[in-house]
Amino acid sequence: MPNPEADTVSIAVQQLLCLILGLGTRPLTAETPLLGSLPELDSMAVISVIAALEGQFGFEVADDDIHARHFATVGSLTDFVRARLDSRLIT
Amino acid sequence: MRSTTSLLPFFLPASGGQRYCLLHLPAPESGQKRPSRGGVVYLHPFAEELNKSRRVAALQARAFADAGYSVLQIDLHGCGDSSGDFGDARWSIWRNDVHLACAWLQQRVSGPLTLWGLRLGALLALDIARHPPVPLARLLLWQPELSGRRSMDQFLRLRLATRMLANEGKTEATGHARAQLAAGHSIEVAGYTLVPELVHAIDEIDAARLAPAVPVCWLEYGAGAAGPNALPAPAARLAQGWRDEGTQLQLAVFGDGAFWSSAEIMECPQLLQATRQLCGDWLTEPGSVPHG
Repeated sequence: MPNPEADTVSIAVQQLLCLILGLGTRPLTAETPLLGSLPELDSMAVISVIAALEGQFGFEVADDDIHARHFATVGSLTDFVRARLDSRLIT
Repeated sequence: MRSTTSLLPFFLPASGGQRYCLLHLPAPESGQKRPSRGGVVYLHPFAEELNKSRRVAALQARAFADAGYSVLQIDLHGCGDSSGDFGDARWSIWRNDVHLACAWLQQRVSGPLTLWGLRLGALLALDIARHPPVPLARLLLWQPELSGRRSMDQFLRLRLATRMLANEGKTEATGHARAQLAAGHSIEVAGYTLVPELVHAIDEIDAARLAPAVPVCWLEYGAGAAGPNALPAPAARLAQGWRDEGTQLQLAVFGDGAFWSSAEIMECPQLLQATRQLCGDWLTEPGSVPHG
């Protein structure tokens, strides 16, 4: 049974958040809340995270997707990245 | 007691008022006058990135001064402590400001002149290098914006990010900010008044069309899924394009972090070290200038 936390997308998103937000070695899990909980996540950090995701995964983030539903937790952001990667494979 | 480099703040008269400048001067060697090794003009990034990056820019400027170079940091029109509001800023005025800074430094410092820019400041340096006001020896690019249009799109996203963080619930229609600008209206982004003239001028600047004729040192931030020292794909593509056009390019990747946007003020030892290595040919040996 695969461990859903151990897949490459989730690890990559967590590494990217740690680096961009300067979280050091603070442990992140899918349940770690982002919006409203991390003081490091200001508006400039949000767009840096988005730009880094675009750079690393090679997709574009639409304006509509800069939305709380994707930035609520580490898990919701990971799900968003997975969905974007899946849709890129289909089209 | 002048055993270290010295720092001279001053105002440079320019169109529409004055520009705040910081001049880092090399320390004279004890007992003898040290020959000037050249000048460096620093061009800062856009809007809030200017403030976030002051610390690292100052550290690097001091490192250049330690190596015998005079460094002029200029706040462009409408930015930092210079005259004008951000809404008064125009690309053409910024170009004139850079011309002014280069001429000012060249009149006072002998030796080769380097343009050093961060983010949009690097794109401005590339634009200037096409028709430099005085001969340039080289460019030093830190995390250059590669596409003016993309850099403005990124900046406009701040409106959406601010709204999301404020949890206002209401969202802005896709493309609303662009539509306002296209209709000739100014908009406000994160406390900065953005005028259509400036945005549309920056939109037109594309690094792919600005392959420099002078040697380039380029430092790029690499992090995340592709590994700590992997060059991001858009930068790799542009570097290849420039090399195909004959640009003499040295490139290194640093992993300290995105200090120009980080909520924490960072110091960037990797970036400073990588810059020292990449620029080694003109920093370590007095009088040495890259050939070719």
